[in-house]
Amino acid sequence: MLIEINHITKCFSGKPVLSDISLKVDMYETLSILGKSGCGKSTLLKIIAGIEKPDEGSILVKGIDISKQEPHERNIVYLFQEALLFPNLNVFENIAFGLRIKKIEKKVITQQVSVMLERLGLTDHSKKMPHQISGGQKQRVAFGRALIINPPLILLDEPFSNLDTETRSQMQDLYKKVAIDFHITALFVTHDIKEALLMGDRMTYLQDGKLKVYDSKQDFMNDEITGAKKEISFWNNI
Amino acid sequence: MRIKFSLLFHAFMIVICIIPILILFALSFSKNWAFPAILADHFSPIAWQDLFSGGNDIRHSLLLSLLIALIVACTATTIGFFISKTIAYHNFRRQLLFLAYLPFVLSPVILALCLKFYFIKLSLAGTVSGVMIAQLIVAIPYSIIFFSGFWNQRVKAFADIVNTLGGTNMLALTKVLIPLAKPLLLICFFQCFLISWFEYGLTSVIGYGKIQTLPIKVYQFLIEANIFYAALSCCLLIMPPVLLLWINKSIFLKRLY
Repeated sequence: MLIEINHITKCFSGKPVLSDISLKVDMYETLSILGKSGCGKSTLLKIIAGIEKPDEGSILVKGIDISKQEPHERNIVYLFQEALLFPNLNVFENIAFGLRIKKIEKKVITQQVSVMLERLGLTDHSKKMPHQISGGQKQRVAFGRALIINPPLILLDEPFSNLDTETRSQMQDLYKKVAIDFHITALFVTHDIKEALLMGDRMTYLQDGKLKVYDSKQDFMNDEITGAKKEISFWNNI
Repeated sequence: MRIKFSLLFHAFMIVICIIPILILFALSFSKNWAFPAILADHFSPIAWQDLFSGGNDIRHSLLLSLLIALIVACTATTIGFFISKTIAYHNFRRQLLFLAYLPFVLSPVILALCLKFYFIKLSLAGTVSGVMIAQLIVAIPYSIIFFSGFWNQRVKAFADIVNTLGGTNMLALTKVLIPLAKPLLLICFFQCFLISWFEYGLTSVIGYGKIQTLPIKVYQFLIEANIFYAALSCCLLIMPPVLLLWINKSIFLKRLY
């Protein structure tokens, strides 16, 4: 077990956003969290990353309680909807950012970043500034920036929602490949049912602050509240 | 046709900006100019020579104005940057930002008269530090309002990314937030510098006439009917805005062509 979330509760202005959320994620597993906009998916990820403080509950990584730790001490990387590349740094420096923070030797940084650029197909763009590359390439750089520090857990907050259909599909394929190559453990938040099924090894559904964890993808698809049945029926009847 | 109009417009704007400055310069080099003569009897660089040799106290006022404006601009920009961040992410953002507008409700002279009592009690009236504090009462809220638009959820997300990548808040500030805000920091510094540089009301009331900054000097020369020294002071006074115009013009022309 890599991560264990116990009884997380969060209210904004007295209104509960997350109520008694508990879940477990195994090593090298991607857990999909499906839910409508504004249901608290991002808040849950921000609490795990340490950006938001929960009202109650605890988070354990490899059995260690990290609830009181600052975000920079947790080694959990959060990927936003937008790539949010640092505009003052080029592609190479954006990817190298996490390594520079750790004060790793220059030679090692150059070597590791070069390898990462190659694996993400960005070698030709290493000297470009963020405004000179496409949306898909930006998201790849954001992946590289997160993966290079080898975090035990990556939190993906609808990372492909701003991309066009084709690029989105390419990024989904890339993520699946990268997840295997880099042994990623991740929480993947999305409001797109197809994406949730494609990306996740296991499925969960967040509604009205409550998280439902499914034992299998079939259970998820059979459940009326997820909307999977409606989606299948739509495509069958078209 | 459009290019011709644009050129004519630029020429007109340049004439409007340059002619008053030329007149000021001519006046600062003049001697014995009596009505109704259009030009002075003769021209002499004596006022400028006095400035460089220290023969008059304009040099002292120039250096004092520079010192006050630089300190006020640096302090207001720095403090405003950080306070605006706190306000931007605070639950009472609107109410706190409203407080920043209060110094601008009153004219500087009336504001100075309201504050004079406290400055006398604190032995700050008639001192350079007192004038600086008085100017900061206007410059810091200006800086807060100026930066309030910078802090948003996107900027916060940048800082959050640095944090989750293992960087401290200080690192997020130095490596990402300050580089992001750099152009705004420069503009705010210059604006605060100009606020302090041209400040008359607060300086004259809180400074008690003892703190002779350049705007105070200009008025003093005008009251004394010493138009040649007043022109010289004005020439020095308009140098920063002229520099700003020149920089803006360069950027503007670069964008245009």
